[in-house]
Amino acid sequence: MFKNEEMEINLGPQHPSTHGVLRVKLRLDGETITHCRPMIGYLHRGVEKICENQTFFQGQVWTDRMDYCSAVANNLGWAEANEKLFGITVPRRAQYIRTMLNEFNRLASHLIWLATHALDIGAMTVFLYAFREREDILDMNEAFCGSRLTTTAFRIGGLREDLPPGFEKLVKKFLAKFPSCLEEYENLLNENRIWKKRTIGVAKLSAEDAIALGITGPVLRAAGVPYDIRKAFPYAAYAEMNFDVPTRTEADTYARYLVRMDEMRQSARIIQQCMDGMPEGPVMAKLPKILKAEVNEVYHATEAPKGEIGYYLVGEKGSGNPYRFHVRAPGFINLQALPKMAEGGLIADIVAAIGTLDIVLGEIDR
Amino acid sequence: MSDETLPQPSETPEAPAGPYVYDYAASPQRQVVMPKTVPLPSLRTYEAEVKAAAAADEAKWQKMLADFETAKAKAEAEGKEAPKPPVRPVPRKDDNDLKTPWPQEAKDDDLHRLQERLGGKVEEIFEQAGELTCQVSKEAILEALQLCRQDIALNYEMLADQTATHYPAATGFAFSVVYHLTSISRRKRLRLRILVPEGFSPESACAVYPSANWMEREIYDMLGIRFANHPDMTRILCPEDWEGHPLRKDYPVVGWGQRDIAFREDRGGMLERIALQKAGQLGINLKQPKAE
Repeated sequence: MFKNEEMEINLGPQHPSTHGVLRVKLRLDGETITHCRPMIGYLHRGVEKICENQTFFQGQVWTDRMDYCSAVANNLGWAEANEKLFGITVPRRAQYIRTMLNEFNRLASHLIWLATHALDIGAMTVFLYAFREREDILDMNEAFCGSRLTTTAFRIGGLREDLPPGFEKLVKKFLAKFPSCLEEYENLLNENRIWKKRTIGVAKLSAEDAIALGITGPVLRAAGVPYDIRKAFPYAAYAEMNFDVPTRTEADTYARYLVRMDEMRQSARIIQQCMDGMPEGPVMAKLPKILKAEVNEVYHATEAPKGEIGYYLVGEKGSGNPYRFHVRAPGFINLQALPKMAEGGLIADIVAAIGTLDIVLGEIDR
Repeated sequence: MSDETLPQPSETPEAPAGPYVYDYAASPQRQVVMPKTVPLPSLRTYEAEVKAAAAADEAKWQKMLADFETAKAKAEAEGKEAPKPPVRPVPRKDDNDLKTPWPQEAKDDDLHRLQERLGGKVEEIFEQAGELTCQVSKEAILEALQLCRQDIALNYEMLADQTATHYPAATGFAFSVVYHLTSISRRKRLRLRILVPEGFSPESACAVYPSANWMEREIYDMLGIRFANHPDMTRILCPEDWEGHPLRKDYPVVGWGQRDIAFREDRGGMLERIALQKAGQLGINLKQPKAE
């Protein structure tokens, strides 16, 4: 009467909980996943190839469109990699503004993660609250550089423009209300029985596995490894900032949620410090109109909201284009852990596993 | 607008007999400019370049002096006023904030330890822009990775990134494969590099660093380097039946099939239809995967 058969099903590529066009091939024994194989590439646009055929400046607009939820963080990594390649020192005021915008972007990215992750697992309300605060951050992006999502915020050597007048007021207003907003989300989720049942002990990934698989970002920190590039290899103005690296040891979905919530508090702290200690001065280094590279290769990694985003650039002597433009996308590497997290669990929990990795297919497929 | 009202294509394109070879001359936007130089950073080539530049500079100055002497002698013979003695040209100083990081001697202990442990398998060590680079021979890459992972003094726990670059103008090799290692406990980064000729399969890093799995698949997909002893050497971003490896320098930027259309002129979608029809006849992207 009961057959002992394995069933193979496809999750995606057009599935609302896969955050884009991720396809996961699953083999099921009843409701238990015995085999899981993520298949990607449905959004491949050849960003690296395009950037190799454009000038150093033009690559930035493509970095916006990789991880569109954290465009500023991608811009920052790109700008700093280019500055390393050419040996440019960025003015201190520009560093501070970059740091501040990057932290705002981390808030926006974590908020969209919180909203969609909760929505996937079945908590609808948080979505509406989180998008309310995210809207304020996007308004600030608009005030600074004119666009909300694909910001193209920075330039090689600094910033195109200084902060607009009245920006401080927006930041102050946001910082005054944000801690209470965080409390609001936590009231909705922290002791929510359904949320805890769906997250505690789900999609575990130990610290050893995480390091072996190259996982970075909140997923690694929730396994107890305090590795944050902002602390380990400080860039921009992070060396002058005072903040903590939140970690947990449980290494499950709930721990990752708590780590990200704590990270948002630390981001607000960093923004406050940037506002208080904002130095005066120019925001752009003195550069020639056309940048011509020398033979050089750099790998520059920064802490994006999703993990380590690294740019590998190779310069050709006398050429205005990068000879090689490679992006180490955090989502691409982090997604490798999905089989480890999902196998042996229930099929309903793979939605939680995908959500907790915080993937954006735009950067995975590039 | 129904299908009947659309103008029909004046001539049906014919399918070519042989395998599909694109006529680059017919499509200027698909022409490829191949690189002529080999931008492979290296302390040895940099030092040789500096030496050659200094020698050329000296030779130019000697020629200027000799020219001056002959001009002086000529002027004296003709009884004219002697020419002004030449001034050695000073390199022009640019008024900008660029300070190009040149390759420098290796000072870091990690690089010296690698050289000491691996001996002759290390081809070059240097530092550039604050980054450590160690180039090892292509057969010894697995040994080098194992040493970096297991040696207590090195202790590089994580393979952060792995990628490759195509150098068609080089002789003796065609690709460089770089491994970016991170030591979380020691807060250090290291780059290992190997030079690989066309058709050579370097040993896969998956045995030491499991994170190399997808990165090596991406390298195979994009550049066509196959890794030996890899658990699953298949394409990852492109479809299985995709032809060519897009990040090679001889691959055009504009793709195959319907994208070869001037969209501004194609108001009614007619050209697109013809191109699709053509693609169907030629069997582009509709072929069975080839066993390699």
